[in-house]
Amino acid sequence: MFKPQEMQRTVLIGAKQELEKTIDLLHTLEVVHIIEFTPGDADDQLHFGVPTMKASGMSQNLLKIRSSVQILSFEREKQAISEKLPEKQIQQDVEHKIQELELSVLSLTETKTRIEEHFRKLDERIRQVEPFGALDIPLEDYQGYDHITVFTGCVRDLKKLMESLPKITDEYELFTSDSDEQMAALFIVKKHAEDAGKLLSTCGYTEVKLPEGTGLPKQFIEKWVAQKQELSDKLLQTTKDILEFRKRHAEFILASEEYLAIEVQKAEAPVLFGTTEHSFLIDCWIPKTEIQHVQETLEREMHGSLFIQPVDQHHEDEPPTLLKNPRPVRRFEYLLELYSIPNYRDIDPSFILSLIFPLFFGLMIGDIGYGILLILFGVLFMKAFKDSEGFTNIGWYIIIAGVFASIFGLFLFGDMFGLPFLTPHAEPGETVYSWSMLLGIHIPIPSVIHKMESLGMTQLLVISIIAGYLHLGLGLIIGVVVERKHNRKHAITKVGLLLVLTALALLIFVMADWTIGQWLKPLKDTAIAPFLWSTFIPLVKAGVSLGGLIVPYFTIILALLGIIIIGIVAGGFGLVEVLEVTSHLMSYTRLAAICVAKAAMAFAFDMIGLGLILSGNIIIGILGVILLIFMQLMVFALGALSSGIQAVRLHYVEFFMKFYKGEGLRFNPFGYKRKYTTTE
Amino acid sequence: MAADAGIIAIGAGIAIGSAALATAWAQKTIGAAAVGAAAENEKMFGKGLIYMVLPETIVLFGLVIAFLLWTKM
Repeated sequence: MFKPQEMQRTVLIGAKQELEKTIDLLHTLEVVHIIEFTPGDADDQLHFGVPTMKASGMSQNLLKIRSSVQILSFEREKQAISEKLPEKQIQQDVEHKIQELELSVLSLTETKTRIEEHFRKLDERIRQVEPFGALDIPLEDYQGYDHITVFTGCVRDLKKLMESLPKITDEYELFTSDSDEQMAALFIVKKHAEDAGKLLSTCGYTEVKLPEGTGLPKQFIEKWVAQKQELSDKLLQTTKDILEFRKRHAEFILASEEYLAIEVQKAEAPVLFGTTEHSFLIDCWIPKTEIQHVQETLEREMHGSLFIQPVDQHHEDEPPTLLKNPRPVRRFEYLLELYSIPNYRDIDPSFILSLIFPLFFGLMIGDIGYGILLILFGVLFMKAFKDSEGFTNIGWYIIIAGVFASIFGLFLFGDMFGLPFLTPHAEPGETVYSWSMLLGIHIPIPSVIHKMESLGMTQLLVISIIAGYLHLGLGLIIGVVVERKHNRKHAITKVGLLLVLTALALLIFVMADWTIGQWLKPLKDTAIAPFLWSTFIPLVKAGVSLGGLIVPYFTIILALLGIIIIGIVAGGFGLVEVLEVTSHLMSYTRLAAICVAKAAMAFAFDMIGLGLILSGNIIIGILGVILLIFMQLMVFALGALSSGIQAVRLHYVEFFMKFYKGEGLRFNPFGYKRKYTTTE
Repeated sequence: MAADAGIIAIGAGIAIGSAALATAWAQKTIGAAAVGAAAENEKMFGKGLIYMVLPETIVLFGLVIAFLLWTKM
């Protein structure tokens, strides 16, 4: 669980005539990560392999089928397919069927485009002729005059035109439409055309070009509209045909696309191998748990004609990473990989991440109301994005965080939507609401920590620091474990840092001296109580006073010891790490900061909203309800977002920096995740 | 004493306010660069996020100082 799967480097050597069979076997095994062959020195006998004979034909077919898939876009059909087609059947049909399918797809889509094109052209023509339809003059009558000029177009100020025209000449004729468009046709003697043009431009005239053709425009339009109707019927029929075609052939097309993709993958695989004239060599990584199975299968199927040789792992080798975690933890591998894929030699922190990330997230929310909202939101999120692996994982994180938030809200903070269950202590004259007061019943859920009080804030800060100490300490311990073999110096530096960190945590613990007394209270009646109160606590607390602040001797000794160790091992530069670890510890106060900031915002909004609701005026009351819901949703959204990001950050920056290297290579087995085909 | 409390409150405000401004300033630059990097290479998202949130610790220093001042009021 804490280490990636162990890998064994293996070399497979065989004669070239066995190549295809070997590829087929490896493909079905799906546990072999092939290392790409890189040619060595010039006199090396090995060369790149070449794709098998069928590669180019298969690739062409794949291209054809992919273009059909592209054109038809099977979004809906993809989900409906539940049955997998046997590979043998596809193999038989694919050659002749592909040709047929391609032709049908092309003819169907061509028909559709042709109809659409025709439709568009008709539309365009109707648009051109339509203005003339209102005038009822045959189109040929607008042209062919020697002494008359014709203006056709829209006139905004028709009244002015009618009044002013007689002032120029009386040798004209003006036709106007009755409709709102103010279409007009002016026939005027040529010698007055210039004046008429000037007049028209002052009347808001825009020219409408005369369309080609003869006859009454109205008749054209009627004819074309009828044609359009006919075309749209045809279009509907073609669309139906395409849908029908899609439905009928989806299964085969998708399955044969998959089949061909697999065949091409197999045919092109030899380029990954080293080959000589008569033999091939496959260099690969196989998980140690699978190696026996692989060996047995290959030997049985190939009748011993394949030479299988495990190779010793060298230090400079970079094996691929395959994480192995129980199912609930596996979802958190995504969060880890968002940062970086673990290195083969790294400790896999997915399990720690799966526990502490939701814990921090939940602590920052710390409210049963928002906790339940988070759970609901997470479920919706998972449903809405069920196709995306990443988003469903994020939905899962939100759900778990919601559970933690509810637990903290119920048992630690005792509040719901920013309002405590029990009425807190208030100054005289101050109205403080609580669920008990609002509902009129006593709800016996106490707030162990009051976020809104000075004491509660201090307690939260100390909790944050302790959480930070444990988290960072864990990180440093893992770091020591990882580094102890590779880099002793780093490992010892980390031990020094751990001492300094302990000193800092102790200092803060003693500063908040009431917390120790309070938290150790449950031990007061036990046998170790006399030891704790008479020896342990005074011993821890004893120290020198620095400007009113008591620094315990323990702290000084631990810090000095740590700094000396780091100074000796890593020199002056190592002391920078002391500063870093100090700031990292402080960084955990964000747990308290966001917890309180969110609660304060929610509480303030509650006070405003409830003040309005309980004001006695119905309208103000309704406004108050709307306002309160809106403000609560805002607090929820802001709180959830910032808590999530901060919880991620505490892992990515503070925790991972102590031990995690990442930049691993993902284990990518040779094979294919079949969706539509099966080999059985 | 009342005047003292006022001065302390102003001090606390300055502590957290200026720390927040400094954080915002740093994040402005880093955020723009991080988004640019992530747009070019999606794998940079994780790293970008880390760089982006690094300066947030500054505001926490401000918060802690403000809190220490507040308890003295």
